[in-house]
Amino acid sequence: MARVLYIEDEREIGQWVSKDLTERGHQVHWLTSGEGIEKYIPTVDVVILDVMLPGLDGFSIGRRIKKDYPDLPILMLSARTSVEDKIEGLDFADDYLTKPFHPDELFARVEVLLRRYQKQDEEMEIQHLIVHTKDGRIIHKETQEEIQLTGKQYHLFQFFIKHLNQILTKEQLYEGVWGDKYMDGDKTLMVHIRYLREKIEKNPASPTIIETIRGIGYRVKL
Amino acid sequence: MKRFMKSLLAKYMLIIIVAIIVVQLAYLLVGSVAIFGFNMQEDEDIDANEVEIKWHEDANRIQQVNEVNIHNLFKKWKEIYPEAGMFWVDGDGRLVIESNTMAELPVQWTSVYTASFLKERYNGDPFTVVAFLDNKDVNGFIVFEIPRTAFGPPILQASQKYGGLIIAGVFIFVLLFIVVSFLFFRSIQKRLLEFQESMGIRDVDGLPIKVVIKKEDEIGELEKSYNTMVDELSESRLREIREEQLRRELIANLSHDLRTPLTKVRAQTYSIMQEKLSDEGRQAVKAIEVSISAIDRLIENLMSYTLLMASKYKYDPTEIDITRFLRESAATWYPVFEKESFEIDVSLESLGVWKVDPIWMGRILDNLLQNVLRHAKKGKYLGIKTVSNEQYDAILIIDHGPGLSQESNEKGAGIGLTIVDMMVKGMELDWEVQSSEDGTIIKIIRFK
Repeated sequence: MARVLYIEDEREIGQWVSKDLTERGHQVHWLTSGEGIEKYIPTVDVVILDVMLPGLDGFSIGRRIKKDYPDLPILMLSARTSVEDKIEGLDFADDYLTKPFHPDELFARVEVLLRRYQKQDEEMEIQHLIVHTKDGRIIHKETQEEIQLTGKQYHLFQFFIKHLNQILTKEQLYEGVWGDKYMDGDKTLMVHIRYLREKIEKNPASPTIIETIRGIGYRVKL
Repeated sequence: MKRFMKSLLAKYMLIIIVAIIVVQLAYLLVGSVAIFGFNMQEDEDIDANEVEIKWHEDANRIQQVNEVNIHNLFKKWKEIYPEAGMFWVDGDGRLVIESNTMAELPVQWTSVYTASFLKERYNGDPFTVVAFLDNKDVNGFIVFEIPRTAFGPPILQASQKYGGLIIAGVFIFVLLFIVVSFLFFRSIQKRLLEFQESMGIRDVDGLPIKVVIKKEDEIGELEKSYNTMVDELSESRLREIREEQLRRELIANLSHDLRTPLTKVRAQTYSIMQEKLSDEGRQAVKAIEVSISAIDRLIENLMSYTLLMASKYKYDPTEIDITRFLRESAATWYPVFEKESFEIDVSLESLGVWKVDPIWMGRILDNLLQNVLRHAKKGKYLGIKTVSNEQYDAILIIDHGPGLSQESNEKGAGIGLTIVDMMVKGMELDWEVQSSEDGTIIKIIRFK
């Protein structure tokens, strides 16, 4: 369960989203404007922000929040879909979802943000593994033994966990984990993925946790 | 008047006028010398006559004819006419004294020679005066000879004396005129080139910058006009930016106002879906859901189309690794196609760097992939490939759908492809569509 601060002036949409997120297990504080957010900000895990609001607009509110609480994830939820608006929003916000959206998508995106910022001590089950997202421990469910990873393997696995269900290209993985520009033909990443698979997969020859998406990259699905 | 005096025209007029005045003065000088010389020429006879009379007088005046007196006489005349020649032939026809004579003279003069000498010298050059000494032929005669040019007009004399100097003077004057004109035009040329160079400099916003006006002449006026033009251009750019902002704002607001009720419709249908519904009801709600997505896409495409038509869609080309870009786009679309059980075949070779706007490129791919999802669902196949040959590099989007000519359940595909067309051409790329009943291949081509 996460505490969500949701700012939306459209009552119908506000009610609907609050109800849906609450039903999905989150605790939602819904406000119709930026007034009085100070009271909630220190205690929430994620902020969902509309752009067109009475008084201070969503961009200004978001910037202020991010300035004081850089570790608080912000998702912009707006009917403004122009590239300029998205760019302005993503300048400070972590995600930008346009209306009309599907509640499943909103929920999924909120989950991604919570994972990325490790706001929940989530115990995740990925097939035969139990992963503690906050401290990164990996337990083999059947043997109850902790799987020890080397530094790079750990970072690589963490990167997958932060981007669960997303397909990551070789370039994204290499640059995300090694912090260097990926050079075409570099085998380092593949070697590390092989080692990681040897440690976490039941059958490394036919991996099921780290999927290979042919021609694109890799993915870890929940 | 003050302005005229500062002009280039006035300056060049001044150079010409000075040149004309100098030439006129020179003419005047030469002319006056010529006129004076003409008068002198009229006096030439008198002058020669005077010489003749005086020579005769001096010859008569000698009381005692001897070498000393004659020598003294010659000396006196030599002082007055340094270029003159003189000699004395005595009563016996003997050449006694000879001073600065112009021809070879015999020592002994015969009557025949004397006669031929007189005949030759009569009205000839040099001007010759023969006078008997003391008016008696027994003492012989003294001869005074002087080149006729000595009596010539001063102009002639001057030209003979200072001819070289005059030519040099004229040459120097012409040279001076050429140099002054050259410097004058070179300074104009230099300023024009500097002006041209300044016109080529661009500010950070891509607009030309103002030039510094140094002089208030014609070029200065031109620079002033250019600066005014730069100001007007900046103003017009500013106006254009403001207009662009207004238009964007209007479209953004319009899009917002359309999408908000659409979101409400979705909220309501979602709520209905949570209720217990008959199969028919469920089907109807699903149809509404599909329509909401279709309207959403249509609004998006309409907005983009309006901006593109007005050339107001932001275009910012950057160099991107196109293969990496394709792979990342494929990664975002993969789950959507996966959910629809498509076979996804991504096979990308390196196409190097393309100079394109990544947002435009993303939009093109989104529209094409959306079309595959909407119209080629039956084929259950999506291929994203690259081709590279000597003529071109290309991106291929392949589906096994019923082809573009087939009627699709979803309308509104036209505008999506129109946007693809406008964006592809806007980025100086090309595209072609091969469509049949077995599927469609869309090629985005960059010619080498």
